[in-house]
Amino acid sequence: MATGVLARRLRALVGDDGVVDADDVLLVYECDGYTLERAAPELVVLPRTPAETSAVVRLLAEERIAFVPRGAGTGLSGGTLPLAAPVMVCTSRLREIESIDLRNRRLVAQAGVVNSWVTRAVQGDRLLYAPDPSSQTACTIGGNVAENSGGPHTLKYGVTVNHVLGVELVLPSGEVVRLGGAVEDRPGPDLVGFVVGSEGTLGITTRATLRLVRAPEAVRTLLAIFDSVDAASEAVSDVIASGIVPAALEMMDRLVLQAVEQAFSAGFPADAGAVLLVELDGPAAGLEEQAEAVSAVCRRNGSREIRVARDEAERALLWKARKRAFGAVGRLAPNYCTQDGVVPRSRLPEIVRAIAATAERHRLRIGNLLHAGDGNIHPVILFDERDADEVRRVIEAGHEILAACVALGGSLSGEHGIGVEKIGQMPLLFSPDDLLAMTRLKAVFDPEGRANPHKVVPDAKVCVEARTPRRQAAM
Amino acid sequence: MSAPPGDHAAALAALASELGADAVREAGPGDLVDGVAPFAVVRPADAEQARRAVAIAARGRIALVASGRGRHLSIGAPPRHLGLLLRMDRVDRVVEHHAADMTVTVEAGCTLAALDERLRRAGQWLPLDPPAPAETTVGGLVAANLAGPLRASQGGVRDLLLGIETVSGEGVVVRGGGRVVKNVAGYDLPRLHVGALGSLGVVLAATFKTVPVPAREGAVEVEVASPREACDLALAMRDAFEPAWLELVAEDGGPATRVVFGCAGLPPEVACGLLLARAEADRPGHHAVEVEDAAARRAELAAFPLREAAAILRVSTLPDRTGLALESLARAARDCGVRAPLSAQVASGIARAAIPDAVAVAPVLRALRARREDPDAAVVVERASAGVKPRLVGDADPWGDPGESLSLVRGVKRALDPGGILSPGRLPGGV
Ligand SMILES: Cc1cc2nc3c(=O)[nH]c(=O)nc-3n(C[C@H](O)[C@H](O)[C@H](O)COP(=O)(O)OP(=O)(O)OC[C@H]3O[C@@H](n4cnc5c(N)ncnc54)[C@H](O)[C@@H]3O)c2cc1C
Ligand SMILES: Cc1cc2nc3c(=O)[nH]c(=O)nc-3n(C[C@H](O)[C@H](O)[C@H](O)COP(=O)(O)OP(=O)(O)OC[C@H]3O[C@@H](n4cnc5c(N)ncnc54)[C@H](O)[C@@H]3O)c2cc1C
Repeated sequence: MATGVLARRLRALVGDDGVVDADDVLLVYECDGYTLERAAPELVVLPRTPAETSAVVRLLAEERIAFVPRGAGTGLSGGTLPLAAPVMVCTSRLREIESIDLRNRRLVAQAGVVNSWVTRAVQGDRLLYAPDPSSQTACTIGGNVAENSGGPHTLKYGVTVNHVLGVELVLPSGEVVRLGGAVEDRPGPDLVGFVVGSEGTLGITTRATLRLVRAPEAVRTLLAIFDSVDAASEAVSDVIASGIVPAALEMMDRLVLQAVEQAFSAGFPADAGAVLLVELDGPAAGLEEQAEAVSAVCRRNGSREIRVARDEAERALLWKARKRAFGAVGRLAPNYCTQDGVVPRSRLPEIVRAIAATAERHRLRIGNLLHAGDGNIHPVILFDERDADEVRRVIEAGHEILAACVALGGSLSGEHGIGVEKIGQMPLLFSPDDLLAMTRLKAVFDPEGRANPHKVVPDAKVCVEARTPRRQAAM
Repeated sequence: MSAPPGDHAAALAALASELGADAVREAGPGDLVDGVAPFAVVRPADAEQARRAVAIAARGRIALVASGRGRHLSIGAPPRHLGLLLRMDRVDRVVEHHAADMTVTVEAGCTLAALDERLRRAGQWLPLDPPAPAETTVGGLVAANLAGPLRASQGGVRDLLLGIETVSGEGVVVRGGGRVVKNVAGYDLPRLHVGALGSLGVVLAATFKTVPVPAREGAVEVEVASPREACDLALAMRDAFEPAWLELVAEDGGPATRVVFGCAGLPPEVACGLLLARAEADRPGHHAVEVEDAAARRAELAAFPLREAAAILRVSTLPDRTGLALESLARAARDCGVRAPLSAQVASGIARAAIPDAVAVAPVLRALRARREDPDAAVVVERASAGVKPRLVGDADPWGDPGESLSLVRGVKRALDPGGILSPGRLPGGV
């Protein structure tokens, strides 16, 4: 079908303002938070309701048109990059929180609801939605479900999948299935768990039933300052081994600290090698003992100073600095990209050393932001995209870092997803048989391969270089 | 999706020659799976032998059911066909416990008691407490999605499972997940196997998150007049202090029902929790008492699903409807002339009744399903003793309505077990 005809038929379903087909506006959708590769879709369609979403997908099914789902476009692995998918279906207008059940601690949100709205809706009742990606004021529940997103506090509370009880999924055929729901433990295999983290390749999520948790009665937030990343990493391992489970355990290295300090004046010592941001929460009883135990572990590992946030304002400042650290580091160079590898937590010192070596080898500046308690690293690589040679080195360095994570017993991604960015490296982690099983499982939901094609699982028969005329392939 | 009976003699010969004669024997009367007899029992010595056994079954199109120690085999519908019983209890190594990473990789045949013993040496545990840990294996834990009272605070199998190694219905090793605590690389195969009753793969090994054993555990207990009152009180106690576990129990079928509230953590936390819970419970007319050995009481409550009974019925519902669910179970049982001991896990919304009499099981189940007092609830037969399952057909099927995901479940089954040899027919909808 010609694009113009399709646009007209889609407008009939979602309203005139629900279809974007002007070239200049389409540019907005040419990439998400992963900016190394760009491609605009031919059309963007923005349904207003779950029902409109299934109507749109049914039309695309009739015409056998492939599509890529999109939420807020904050993804960091290029999951929304259209590859052989002319239409982008954006769920950001599905913004309703449909129901709140305080007693049972459940909330039903449409896919376009922004993460932080959920907690805001129940805050007054001393509940919260635990997964708190740093992008939480922008990213959507649909995107969170697709990426199985984490956040600083997922160390104690678990990631998105631990808090999603049900999803409504529009299959690529347009058929709607409700998986799971408010009631736990339905008989049969855990399809909800399978759909969470599937990166929009199985269909479009329109609603999710979320689990709420009790807001902690009390919180202690500590900042432990170290002279070296090594010492801080050893402290992380020791805190975990001590049997205390902090709510959050984050690390920032010198480069990140300096950037953050420039941007927010949060009082971070610019000469420190690394800091740990440790948060403990729970009932007030016992919290002080835990804070002291953590402080003792940090001191034993050479922490030169430990500061305790004295009030909510100080705590908020520390977290603001941490949550906006990507942006702050980004100001140091024209462009930046981040990696999302994971290592077993006791291997943190080794991976941090490996990253430093990689930076040196490729003559790159790399800062480190780590969800240290989870072993989830976020090296931030600075570059200038006008420098083609530097771009090439950035991509190579990223691959090396991820390969090092896998070699240490870790994984390619802790929370940002495979997308297009890491698809070529999936064979590092999985055997051909594992990947074949995944390919077959995808086909159960999407037999024609029309939902977010060429993502997550590499095409078995096509070699990586020949797949698409992408920048990675072109080099 | 139904596998033909296959060539038994050829399979036996292949098994004996590839695995050794001592790994294979003919089945006896003690090897029934839900009343269905296999022709042989295979006991592989290690994971590679298990893989080969499945490959041989795949080649011969012989249906098989994997089993740990046979303790929870009656969960689900009886298998449609059965040739081999694959006993995994010799594949039982704790592969690696990385105490500093707080993860453990363990083979499917290891019992939870053995695993626990190992983890406790490092002050850690896997906080899942299904009944009979000494007779429950890791494979059965995952396949049957078993959990106990601790689920209220620690989550279920799906929340602790990080990685899995399985053999598909084609005899191919398929792995998913990994051994790090946070991992989104690729589709989530591990969770797909949770609750799949071994129908999507034979579990060879699994990796779990471990957690520190809490320094102290404490509990208070109070008896109130009815299940619904107990449920309301339990939720009020939960709102006063977040429990580690929260159970209701009515040993003689009610109406009097006990609320048992457990908390765990550092000593001051536990003391504070018990104080607040008691303050909530001490209302005119009843009085909360502290439980002497909280962990022992928890284990006792966890064992409810294994108690002597013709069948255990389980209702999954919302937390605040568990009281209602218990009352429906009690009434349905009474209407059929039996008194059924009751128990519930309030925070997870699970209510159970132990139906003492084999002839009462199907009528109670039908009555509950027909009345549909709670439209969101799912009523299933969690286990049944020998001879009961054949009566559970039609509207008394052990699973009830398979729900709208049935065609996807069928597809998933075909993707991982195209020949339909793994536990055929045991899942909802006859998958
Ligand atoms: C500054 C910054 C900080 C971040 N911090 C974190 C962090 O701490 N933790 C973390 O985990 N992530 C983080 N992220 C990554 C990102 O925010 C998350 O992956 C988020 O969940 C993406 O949500 P989104 O709505 O923007 O989705 P998008 O970027 O629009 O899409 C992401 C993927 O989800 C799919 N998708 C979106 N909506 C749907 C739907 N309705 N149905 C099916 N598929 C859908 C898309 O196809 C795509 O594959 C950060 C990003 C930025 C820019
Ligand atoms: C005192 C007592 C009371 C009992 N009461 C009852 C009763 O009331 N009702 C009753 O029915 N039974 C009862 N039993 C148990 C019964 O006798 C059988 O032992 C039981 O039916 C078998 O359960 P299991 O734990 O061995 O199953 P498991 O072997 O643990 O298997 C559980 C599930 O997991 C699957 N599985 C196991 N291992 C794997 C693997 N590696 N990979 C994939 N899937 C796997 C199995 O196929 C099965 O679906 C009782 C036993 C005793 C001793």
